[in-house]
Amino acid sequence: MENPPLLPQVPVIRLPRPPSPSGRGFDPSSPRALAHHAADSHQKIRSTLRERFLRSLLASSGLPVTFTMYQRVTVNAEKFNACDMEAYNFQVSNLQTPLGVQDEALIRGPDIISYSFCI
Amino acid sequence: MLRQGDTGDWIGTFLGHKGAVWGATLNKTATKAATAAADFTAKVWDAVTGDELITLAHKHIVKSVDFTQDSNHLLTGGQDKLLRIYDLTKPEADPEQIGGHTSAIKKALWYNNDRQILSAADDKTVRLWDRVSMTEVKTLNFNLSVSSMEYIPDGETLLITYGRTIALYNSSSLELIKSFEAPAPINSASLHPEKDCIVAGGDDFKLYKYDYSTGEELESYKGHFGPVHCVRFSPDGELYASGSEDGTLRLWQTAVGKTYGLWKCVLPEELVSENSDAIYNVSSELKA
Repeated sequence: MENPPLLPQVPVIRLPRPPSPSGRGFDPSSPRALAHHAADSHQKIRSTLRERFLRSLLASSGLPVTFTMYQRVTVNAEKFNACDMEAYNFQVSNLQTPLGVQDEALIRGPDIISYSFCI
Repeated sequence: MLRQGDTGDWIGTFLGHKGAVWGATLNKTATKAATAAADFTAKVWDAVTGDELITLAHKHIVKSVDFTQDSNHLLTGGQDKLLRIYDLTKPEADPEQIGGHTSAIKKALWYNNDRQILSAADDKTVRLWDRVSMTEVKTLNFNLSVSSMEYIPDGETLLITYGRTIALYNSSSLELIKSFEAPAPINSASLHPEKDCIVAGGDDFKLYKYDYSTGEELESYKGHFGPVHCVRFSPDGELYASGSEDGTLRLWQTAVGKTYGLWKCVLPEELVSENSDAIYNVSSELKA
């Protein structure tokens, strides 16, 4: 006579991590610690920088701007109008180029190192 | 010691008490921990860094700690029969004290959205107190000392164990809903968040699972080799943990065989066809 079947055993992927023999734990680089700390400070800084950038765009709209681009190219435009959401295109009026003045022009974002304007 | 709930992985150890720790709790966001100990102190810890934040001196052994939902106040209770409410924003200030119990307090909980306090003591009573007036609102008398209490606010249920009895009360009226008798003295019991079942453990080392509606014993599990002192369901109800005098804490699946945490559901045919060397074949409980 066979023994009654045992309940199905539930296998585990691994055993739980035991306490470390040295140190009290609370690894500051653990996902849990990062979620509590870094999320706070890191995300706050990112949002502050983003907000400053958007405010600078708003402040410069309608003002004369100077673009500093690669290969020591500097161009001036009489009026900065807008840029798209990804900051990929900057739309300006009366752009002064070596070939003459462009009434309306789009400047590619990746070509620009910086742009400046006077408040 | 703080461990990950689903896997049991060790996160860290709160080092500092100079006596046995009788009670421990986390705040709502698990950013702070509080402990009650036999070194006549309760301590508040940063549960992210593990740092000790506040030490609250008592006149005797502290057995129970509980945070308010906003984590600004801590309720303590212990051997000196007094309930204390500490304002954690002003830890130097003297705590508010509520007296009335005639024996050591075992457990004290915030109740009814922190507007009331529920305490169980060795004087065989469970008392309900008003937070503002600090007066006794109601007393439940028992023929034996209450061994554990669990308050399930969402389920409007209060679970009390004493002797071999597991009793369910309506949390607002404090009227007895029903009670079951276990085969051995029960030290702790926990109600499933969806009220499917109750798990209980006590002096006979076994864990019992009861059907909530019928009170029928569904299962009993052997595993511990010492009396079980505490049993609690996880908030999602997928598992429950039991702590025993044998020095282990075990995690048990509510529905045995599910893939959850470190458990891996393997169908019988997979066991045969697949090389399952990588999978430990440990029974449903995990040794701490």
